[in-house]
Amino acid sequence: MPGYQGKILRINLTAGSSVVEKLNPKWAGLFLGGKGLGIKYLYEELAPGIDALAPDNKLILITGPFTGTVVPCSGKLSIVTKSPGTGTILDCSIGGTAAVELKRAGYDAVIIEGKAAEPVYLWIEDNRVEIKNAGECRGLGCHATENKLKEAHGEDSSVLSIGPAGENMVSFACISSELYRQAGRGGVGAVMGSKNLKAVAVRGTGGVLAADAAKLMDVAYNAFKNDLLTDTNLWAYTDGTPMLVELSQTTGILPTNNFQQGTFDAFNQIKSESVAAVRTAKKGCTSCGLGCGNFVRAGRSAVEGPEYETLSIAGSNCGIGSLEAIVEFNRLCDDLGLDTISAGGVTAFAMELTEKGIHDFGIRFGDVEKYLQVPGLIAAGDGLGKELARGVRALAQIYGGQDYAMQVKGLEFPGYDPRGSWGMGLAFATAPRGACHMSAWPAADEAYGELDPFTIEGKAGLVKDLQHYNAAKFSLILCDFWALSFDVMAEMLAALLGREITAGDLELAGERIFNLARLFNIREGFSSQDDVLPQRIYSQPLPSGATAGKTLPEADFKNMLAQYYSLRGWDESGQPGQDKLNLLGLR
Amino acid sequence: MKFNYQPEKCIGCHLCELACSGHKEGQFNPGLARLQVISCYRSDTLVNEARLCDLCLNCVEVCPTGAILSGEQGLTLDRDQCTSCGTCVEACPTGVLRADKEGFPLLCDGCQGNPRCVNWCPHGALTAREVN
Ligand code: SF4
Repeated sequence: MPGYQGKILRINLTAGSSVVEKLNPKWAGLFLGGKGLGIKYLYEELAPGIDALAPDNKLILITGPFTGTVVPCSGKLSIVTKSPGTGTILDCSIGGTAAVELKRAGYDAVIIEGKAAEPVYLWIEDNRVEIKNAGECRGLGCHATENKLKEAHGEDSSVLSIGPAGENMVSFACISSELYRQAGRGGVGAVMGSKNLKAVAVRGTGGVLAADAAKLMDVAYNAFKNDLLTDTNLWAYTDGTPMLVELSQTTGILPTNNFQQGTFDAFNQIKSESVAAVRTAKKGCTSCGLGCGNFVRAGRSAVEGPEYETLSIAGSNCGIGSLEAIVEFNRLCDDLGLDTISAGGVTAFAMELTEKGIHDFGIRFGDVEKYLQVPGLIAAGDGLGKELARGVRALAQIYGGQDYAMQVKGLEFPGYDPRGSWGMGLAFATAPRGACHMSAWPAADEAYGELDPFTIEGKAGLVKDLQHYNAAKFSLILCDFWALSFDVMAEMLAALLGREITAGDLELAGERIFNLARLFNIREGFSSQDDVLPQRIYSQPLPSGATAGKTLPEADFKNMLAQYYSLRGWDESGQPGQDKLNLLGLR
Repeated sequence: MKFNYQPEKCIGCHLCELACSGHKEGQFNPGLARLQVISCYRSDTLVNEARLCDLCLNCVEVCPTGAILSGEQGLTLDRDQCTSCGTCVEACPTGVLRADKEGFPLLCDGCQGNPRCVNWCPHGALTAREVN
């Protein structure tokens, strides 16, 4: 089966067993791989309504058809599970080397079920699969865990691990790999912790086959030279995501002080030039031709990062303008196993609650010293940390501040203020995993692009199309940072699989995948009632810069949402209609 | 064909190895590539290293059956002469030379003047020049 290994490794941690199963080829055809195929497996295998942190939940690590080939930017792994933070479907992707090692070991995916009695880790080396005692790694950070396991299994093995935050099941704990790469959002690390699974170490010695390797190399090389390595994408190499700081500042969507402002006075200190000034190396994932990673050294701290989401949400949004402090916060979160976006978001929310006198968390905007204590406290569940570990939504339920609890479905906002990019509002409200910039990123076209950011005109269609595009792309799996067309994707996939595949096929697969994620959420009780934004976005005008005086009025938002449902063939409650489901083969 | 590697320009993508194995072996497997790149963090420092054939010709000299031929672009193997004895692999001073599953050495012939590893290296870490 070119492009696929045709095998799934199923691990049951309760029983301590593992079996190799055949990959369902029909599902692979319809849902491609990665995100899409992972969602399909979870949808079919998970009973509705289970507790995401119970042994019944499953953790799926899944590669795509391009993984392990020379197709650039394909070295990513999807991690699919039910989110403990939101209760929705959750899929995250992680770079580094793990996806390629897993595929080279001979598997398209690993499905992890049950719960081990003691902390364990998984060691996969080709046919050899062992569930090993992880007692020695207990309580260690991701960095120490990874180093220890690489000492045991070789530097060329790949390790996915959780830190103390994951062990303690913090609802926004992440999974880390290659020290600085994360599957960040929605609490994948907490699910791993709930299974007593400290790490997965993997090494493969095999290869990946194409229907016609020479043809694939020709097609992919053309795409590599004439599409990937062009100005459209090379910002990832020259700057990386910090480039967005200045763009967001100029367009007034840079989250500042828990989204009270869209501009930050000290933005100069955290913009791309400032990050580049402390950069010592560039790094990419396996098969990446871009190399977005900036390895920086600031003060006593070193990290591959910080990415824009961290610079904004854990920087300006917390009133922190010291790059050195953000780098250290980033390093702490990486090591402890925390998502920097949710950690930053909840910190900013606690700062505002304190400043407004609603509840005194003892932490205020710009207080570097306290800010740097937060990750450690959250991971350990100590004092203030125990409160913040609940996440923004739960904190608001207890203490108040609902109107400026910046989350959707329980997932904290990433670094774009929808008041200055109205399509982003729709994207946050309708993304299956909650406020998420990975489902669609219309900011590129509106705030950062040519489209009017302050209108709903055309936005429903834009968001819908982008959602299909990303769903297909993250299933193949290709990196977000390569802005390639459906045509180029289809040409490469056709060469890999040796059969005809059109751009239209991929677009339809994207729509199928997006709708299946919606069906998963509906089965869990979600509806249009949950496709909403915090009140602040609707009614509190931004005070400064290009967005001064702007909101995204609720009436406009509702209008845009209704247009979106209708374009999607969904009814008013946000439920896909029969015709649509038939068309997509989901019935 | 002699290769040069500049670690500070390497992003650790392994596209060179993937392209090499795809071209020479018809499958994507860095384990079958004619070069190896190591790129990882060791105590907070990014370490990039590569093993490349530097045409020292030790393998040619030690081969007991004369199966390794040195040509204009690089090395080629006469499979009929090779007994898979592994002497060449042991004699390789850089350790870049490995054997495939059947014990045949994975020799670099510089892709006959069109080295795929160099073509695929995205930011110029790998370069090649002709030698006589
Ligand atoms: S292709 Fe170039 S950048 Fe990538 S690993 Fe090889 S030498 Fe390094």
